[in-house]
Amino acid sequence: MNDLRIINIKKQFKQTERRGDPAFSLQPIQLTIREGEFFSLLGPSGCGKTTLLKLVAGLLQADSGEIWVGDTNLTKVPSESRKFAMVFQQSLLFPHMSVEDNVAFGLKMQKVGKKQRLDKARAMLERVGLAGYGSRLPDELSGGQQQRVALARALVANPRVLLMDEPFSALDPILREEMRELLGRIQKEFRVTVLFVTHDREEAFYLSDRIGIMNEGELLQVGNARDLYERPASTTAATFLGLKNIIEGTVSDGRFSSIGGNFEFAVNDRFQAGQGFLVLRPEAVELMPNASLPPKGSLHVSGVIQQLRFKHGFYLCKVQVGDEQLECVFSSRQRENATAGQKVDLMVDLKDVWIVEK
Amino acid sequence: MLQKSKPYLLLLPATATIVLLFFGGLFDGLLKSLGYFPAIGKMELDLTAYTGLLGSSDFWESLALTTRVAALSSLIASILGGIIAISLFMLSESAKSGAPRFWQRLFQLPLTIPHLVGGYIIVLLFMQSGFLSKILATAGVIDDISDFPVLVNDPFGWGIIMAYAWKEAPFVSLMIYPVLTRIHSSWRDVSRVFGAKGWQFIREIVLPIIFPAWTIAAFIVFVFTFSAFEVPYLLGVTYPSMLPVYSYQLYTSGTLADRPEALAVNIILAALTILLGLAVYFFSKRWNVLKGWN
Repeated sequence: MNDLRIINIKKQFKQTERRGDPAFSLQPIQLTIREGEFFSLLGPSGCGKTTLLKLVAGLLQADSGEIWVGDTNLTKVPSESRKFAMVFQQSLLFPHMSVEDNVAFGLKMQKVGKKQRLDKARAMLERVGLAGYGSRLPDELSGGQQQRVALARALVANPRVLLMDEPFSALDPILREEMRELLGRIQKEFRVTVLFVTHDREEAFYLSDRIGIMNEGELLQVGNARDLYERPASTTAATFLGLKNIIEGTVSDGRFSSIGGNFEFAVNDRFQAGQGFLVLRPEAVELMPNASLPPKGSLHVSGVIQQLRFKHGFYLCKVQVGDEQLECVFSSRQRENATAGQKVDLMVDLKDVWIVEK
Repeated sequence: MLQKSKPYLLLLPATATIVLLFFGGLFDGLLKSLGYFPAIGKMELDLTAYTGLLGSSDFWESLALTTRVAALSSLIASILGGIIAISLFMLSESAKSGAPRFWQRLFQLPLTIPHLVGGYIIVLLFMQSGFLSKILATAGVIDDISDFPVLVNDPFGWGIIMAYAWKEAPFVSLMIYPVLTRIHSSWRDVSRVFGAKGWQFIREIVLPIIFPAWTIAAFIVFVFTFSAFEVPYLLGVTYPSMLPVYSYQLYTSGTLADRPEALAVNIILAALTILLGLAVYFFSKRWNVLKGWN
């Protein structure tokens, strides 16, 4: 198997003298990306995901650690001999070359004959929906088309690994969605291993087989989208995934108690005793019908609606529960019986409850 | 109305001076080259000076020397300038310190030195009794300073070529460097990922991008050296001399009868320069330097 293995890769940057910023360091990272897998590195700007990508590409030299593809150690292999391909944030097409010459660039470097490489380039342009655009110059294309050409240029050379550094971040939302679909389709078609860097959760969730969450030079957690969202390993990961209902408390004697005492319920064995944080997904919080009793095996809280906002077909509701503010999602029907300032009863199925150790 | 014409009125003294001196001089030269010379009683226009020149072997030898010197100077200056510009570019890409800036300033130094001074430096350095021959003789590389090759005031024009190559190479690099700075720093990364080694990056990306500006710079150097006077006068030989010097020799020969020919040489030089200028303009329009750029 030609898995991409990143073994304890580490990089320490020197402190920048002028700005006085603290020196950035990428902590040792251990990661295996399976052949044909779409793997995303997700994290905020400056967390080290592009640094890791460049280390894999060989554009930066690691202080320690190794990069392997299958049985080949690529650590000391220069970038130009790794047979990887990369799509950058900007298309970075060569302006003096026609579109098809840009696409064929990697093949030319591999000494593929002119006719063969141009045939392949044209075929690849057709795959990305740009048939007939080959003779144009890059500045005659729109931003989305340029990024399609960049994708074609990366795929045509049949790379071992396709590295993508926030390739759609410069595009408008509609184009970004189109490109996302195109990339998803093409990746499945070519079964190419993809290491994709993004700070866009939606993008990572849509495209990836697995996701690695990074923060401050550390790989916090690796898993598929659902696992990460439903079972974040830390409050940092939970916060980055957009989870706002994070309530501090303690697990003891098989029960979780929040600091303010508003959230108290029995927990099963998988949560260890000690200080921790209760993480509640907004969509797991349900509005209880009037005068009904909470079902067994659920967490029940009462609160006052602070705010209701319409958002893409549902309502985002903020409910004050003691000292804590809960974010929950109501359907339009539930919204009909709810108004700001109203006292409501909420419940959460205990199966949807997640506790993160402090 | 006055507000609209104010800029033109302000420019008028400068424009009038240029028109009077430049075009007036050119027109006067043209008239005199056609034989209109009231000082010696010649009032008719004819082509005697031109036919005389075109039938003279001196003129053709002078033209051949001028073309050779201009071509070699611009070729060597272009190659040197290109190497300097690319080296500076690669240096600034790889180095984080202020070293590239220092080298850039150093390479730009000849730009600040007048041509005549540049020519004189070549005389001091490269003539048989110059610094270089004395150093080589003292170091024992050559037995005597007379063994040093004749590079200054030589019939081939090496001294002139050296002076112009040294003086114009920074000009060529100055023309190319702004184009190089437009090369995206990430293109090196792109080309590396797609398998291009350092020299392939230069061949595939850098050279095609700078080629139009490079060619135009070479043309400009050619046109300039073709019609320049002071360096060939200082570093050339009496025979054959370059066209501007040949014209000067005719003009100051002592006989007024030679003056139409001297001015005819100037008119031919001006015509050739305009033709070459038009060629540069045509190519610069055709090879739009920024073609394909965002």
